[in-house]
Amino acid sequence: MRFTIFQESRKGGREVNQDRIAYTYSRETLLLVIADGMGGHVGGEIAAQIAVRLFVERFHQEAKPRLRNPLGFMQDTMLRAHAALGAYASQFSMLETPRTTCVAVVAQGGQAYWAHVGDSRFYLLRQGKLIGSTKDHSKVQYLVDQGAISAEEAAVHPDRNKIYSCLGGLVDPVIDLSRRTPLKNGDILVLCTDGLWSVYPRSELSTMLTSTPILSVGPRIMREAEERGGPDGDNVSAIIVRWGPETLTDELSTTTDALAPGEFETEIEDTLTLADRTGSSRDLTEDEIERAIAEIQSTIQKYRK
Amino acid sequence: MPVTNQALPGGYQLLNYRIDRQISRGGFSIVYRAYDETGTPVAIKEYLPASLVLRTEGDIVNASSAENLTSFRYGMKCFFEEGRALAKINHPNVVRVLNFFRANETVYMVMRYERGRTLQQQIQMRQDQMSERFVRQAFMHLLNGLREVHTHKILHLDIKPANIYLHSDGSPVLLDFGAARQTLTANRPKLAPMYTPGFAAPEQYRDHDRLGPWTDVYGTGASMFACLAAFAPQAADARLQEDHLVSAKKIWSGQYSDNLLEVIDWCLRLDPLERPQSVFALQRAIRDIPPPKRKLTFFGNLKRVLFSEIGA
Repeated sequence: MRFTIFQESRKGGREVNQDRIAYTYSRETLLLVIADGMGGHVGGEIAAQIAVRLFVERFHQEAKPRLRNPLGFMQDTMLRAHAALGAYASQFSMLETPRTTCVAVVAQGGQAYWAHVGDSRFYLLRQGKLIGSTKDHSKVQYLVDQGAISAEEAAVHPDRNKIYSCLGGLVDPVIDLSRRTPLKNGDILVLCTDGLWSVYPRSELSTMLTSTPILSVGPRIMREAEERGGPDGDNVSAIIVRWGPETLTDELSTTTDALAPGEFETEIEDTLTLADRTGSSRDLTEDEIERAIAEIQSTIQKYRK
Repeated sequence: MPVTNQALPGGYQLLNYRIDRQISRGGFSIVYRAYDETGTPVAIKEYLPASLVLRTEGDIVNASSAENLTSFRYGMKCFFEEGRALAKINHPNVVRVLNFFRANETVYMVMRYERGRTLQQQIQMRQDQMSERFVRQAFMHLLNGLREVHTHKILHLDIKPANIYLHSDGSPVLLDFGAARQTLTANRPKLAPMYTPGFAAPEQYRDHDRLGPWTDVYGTGASMFACLAAFAPQAADARLQEDHLVSAKKIWSGQYSDNLLEVIDWCLRLDPLERPQSVFALQRAIRDIPPPKRKLTFFGNLKRVLFSEIGA
């Protein structure tokens, strides 16, 4: 497998970055994942972190070195993340479950598969044309589909940030799964959060990415998106992959051929170190360990017949 | 880089125990067979989470990075809870803890070594259908053990054939309370427990405040189902989406007593409130099942006489 990959997440005008992004690959399979923790909800960044970490960890368990069922893997992982968020909320008696969007892509055997929840997007571009994409689980997308508003109206609609499916929500997530889609050399895969797509029209992205090496144009897009977002702009995140050997000059592509079975390369952008929310999850001290052992030993003695 | 933790080698001396070999490897631990100073075999469970690579050589467990150490210590807490819970229980159908100690920068739990095989192996090895008599007897005893566990205000939360050991006389022992201390999921994702699909109850996937004896009842019902089917029932989370589980009564009607099949279906209800609410209620239901009419052969008769003689 050969590809060129770029990923970056920027805070924008916000105080915290609630986006989380990661890619990881085995010799034969590549996983890309982005989660956008929902602002206005408690612990959005925690939700995004849990979803992304769970994806990476499950991938390491399942991709040996291929996933048996890529779509099943993504669906299952999202459901597990959804359950884990519910468990997290009840563990810390949170009034609201942490919530996040999630979009994941698996490339394996020359095919792409993707799954998403919410309004983080995936575009598959071939020679500047869109050949595959996700459809937002958002209120405005629904209105557009119904013919109630136009795409232009959607872009400025007051409810454009409202989504009806997410991980950690009250109702089970709606998870969209793609078809299996063959990849061709030179295809561009883009995963991004609304912080990027709301300020960067797809056509513009497509033009920039088709003509210029992604490792040089990627950072430019990110900086520009942050600027366009302005002083109160959203977090901006993207993972961009050019499939196949690099044809544009000065581009360093990655090959997975050197990885032994069972080996993975992983890149996770997570700025957050999860703070403990209650004393119950505090680390054990040396003293507590000794005391716990002494207590168990005395219990064993007591109940020995 | 090696991607798995190194097990302790055979012959390794761990305090007064000599390691013989690794028996099994789970998400949180490695289990060894070992011998104590009198030559009695024991099972030793070493706390060593598989998701953290902490020992690539030698014997010392090294949680090198700060993040690893945090996850490692957090999981240790769960290991202690398992030890605490089991230490109090002295019951023939529940694995017995003999010792608990610290060494090699991690912790160890010494348990009675059980001879025999797991119900899982039994299911996989069997040639023909498991008899109703066997299923009823094994689960009746198992439920005695589970009742004892619940009496101590502990839920097992991972009842499945792989965690049920069978002695050669057929009497069962409940093993592995590792999952019992669940909900360490979210903020320590590295140690997130994976529920066993098919045996975990629906409330284990999400409604953690609805866990109760009925949750273990679901696992028990699923295990009985697996005894009959040789495979696990559809996973509960998938059932919540679209329930494809065919009732035991439909599948095995005529082959097993209606009552046994009804009990299995009862245990596997998705709504926790619709299941037997306690182990005792479940036992009562199983006890009420009239034994199947069977022709007694000469050897069957003889076996019965012998078993009753030795009090089995």
